[in-house]
Amino acid sequence: MLIREVMHLNPISITPETSLMDTYNLMNDNKIRHLPIIKNDLLVGIVSDRDVRLATSKFAKTSYEPGTMISEIMSHPVETTRPSEPIEVAIQTMRQFKIGCLPVLDDSKLVGIVTVANLLDAMLLMTGVHYPTGRLDVLLKDRAGEIAKLTKLIADRKINIHSILSYPDANGKLRVVFRVATMEIRPLAKAICNADFEVLWPIQASCVE
Amino acid sequence: MCRIIYNPKYSLYNLGESHPFSPQRTEMLIELLKEWNILTEPIEPNAVLASDLEVIHDRNYINTVEKVSSGINVEDINKFGLGNADNPIFEGMAEGARYQVGGTVLGAKLLMENKANRILQLGGGFHHAHNNFAAGFCIYNDLSLAINEMVNFGWHVVYLDIDVHHGDGVQEMFYSHDYVMTISIHESGEFLFPGKGWVHELGQGSGRALKMNVPLEPFSEGSSYLEFLDKVLKPALSWFKPNALVVQAGADAHFADPLADNLLTTHDYENIFRQIIEFADKSCNGKVLFTLGGGYSSTATPRIWALLYLILNNLDIPEYLPKNWKNHWEQMLGKTIPNTLHDKLPAYEIIPRREEILKINKDVIRRLMDSVSQYWI
Repeated sequence: MLIREVMHLNPISITPETSLMDTYNLMNDNKIRHLPIIKNDLLVGIVSDRDVRLATSKFAKTSYEPGTMISEIMSHPVETTRPSEPIEVAIQTMRQFKIGCLPVLDDSKLVGIVTVANLLDAMLLMTGVHYPTGRLDVLLKDRAGEIAKLTKLIADRKINIHSILSYPDANGKLRVVFRVATMEIRPLAKAICNADFEVLWPIQASCVE
Repeated sequence: MCRIIYNPKYSLYNLGESHPFSPQRTEMLIELLKEWNILTEPIEPNAVLASDLEVIHDRNYINTVEKVSSGINVEDINKFGLGNADNPIFEGMAEGARYQVGGTVLGAKLLMENKANRILQLGGGFHHAHNNFAAGFCIYNDLSLAINEMVNFGWHVVYLDIDVHHGDGVQEMFYSHDYVMTISIHESGEFLFPGKGWVHELGQGSGRALKMNVPLEPFSEGSSYLEFLDKVLKPALSWFKPNALVVQAGADAHFADPLADNLLTTHDYENIFRQIIEFADKSCNGKVLFTLGGGYSSTATPRIWALLYLILNNLDIPEYLPKNWKNHWEQMLGKTIPNTLHDKLPAYEIIPRREEILKINKDVIRRLMDSVSQYWI
């Protein structure tokens, strides 16, 4: 999945001269937490609602006046991404710098913004929960042909696999989560268990009744 | 007392011999009631027309269902959720489904015309049917169409879904509707179909806090259902004050059900049915429409629905099942049927996580009520 599929288009932006008060109101009115700062069509900084709140807090060492220009407190240079970047790279960037948003630049022009919320939505889409399905969680040996064997078993029962999500577990095995369009998750899990796969979910007392 | 709705044509909704959603379940029930000599003459509904369904279903989808059901080949049936293990294609299934939709709609009409207070529709309950695709054994959503008729009549309706699976199709169709409250108690979607029905699904816009879900831990028992009745259903009905209650009475939360894990006994079902009816008597002048639904244990499901029939008709609960009936169906099914209508107790071994499950369910109910109470003013 690429950034262009999840980003927010045409984000609201401000200029370095925008006051703290106007910035605050803009965030409040639009229910947003980040504002990119643009000067001469170039991204020169970014400000979060936390930056604004800390800058104006009574408890801050220097508490700024409402009329202060945002350039006084904005963060720069800015970590950014581009539309064609895979989301996993953007997520790593955000985790690395402990930030909650990345402006999306195309040829130095601001074309979008991506936040933690967008990426959570993307993750949710990958889990396949948006279609009526049951959830099957299987631990596979990490070697060629295992998924093929398993999916053939599901296909032979004429059950549609709506989504597959996989990740390595701590012991070097592959955990695969299927969303399968079936009411008969129990009988399916039993058949898979009987075919010598390790079914984690639904929890099996034993393979046979 | 209670009007019964049934048409033998319901059996056209037959998805094949090995399919769990079998018309045999209703057949067993009706024969049992006949054997006891307590079955009142059912009112036979007509089938709704395919065009009647356009209120709740996409026209393209209806056309596809009708075509494949009459043997016409249609490309790309997968996108309509058809032609797979859950929703295979069988000739006549559309007609059978339209008869069952007709039954539930007739039930709604009898209530609206004040011709009856209690209705038991011996079919229907297709809560997984969506606007433009089939799912979970369901193709046409009888419940949504019946509820929609009531809403058009100016009624407020509470839809209660005690099937072990979440009533996703009905919830979705009325998600932002302020005349319809949907309440579904089910085994949670942690692994069970349809994977939805979480506490946070509270409805949208003016329908906010009118959609309620109680996702129970797998292996939940009767006590959690009783807690739900007392802490959720009772306050919901007395606050919303509906004109009628529509109940999808799926029997698949029974401990013997092969498709799910919850552990209700027939005794629990009796309690649940009695309480629902008592609440309906108090909150909506007793106007209640019950449909059937899931229930895949052939030896338990007819007994549960027989209890529903007996209770709705204020009849005494017989202790034993008729020998003729039992012998006949034991032969047909190749399974042992208990001598008694009720399950013998203890019905199953004590589950090790009982306390933990109880605690989690209590917490789910508390979270739900915390979420809705801020809107219920």
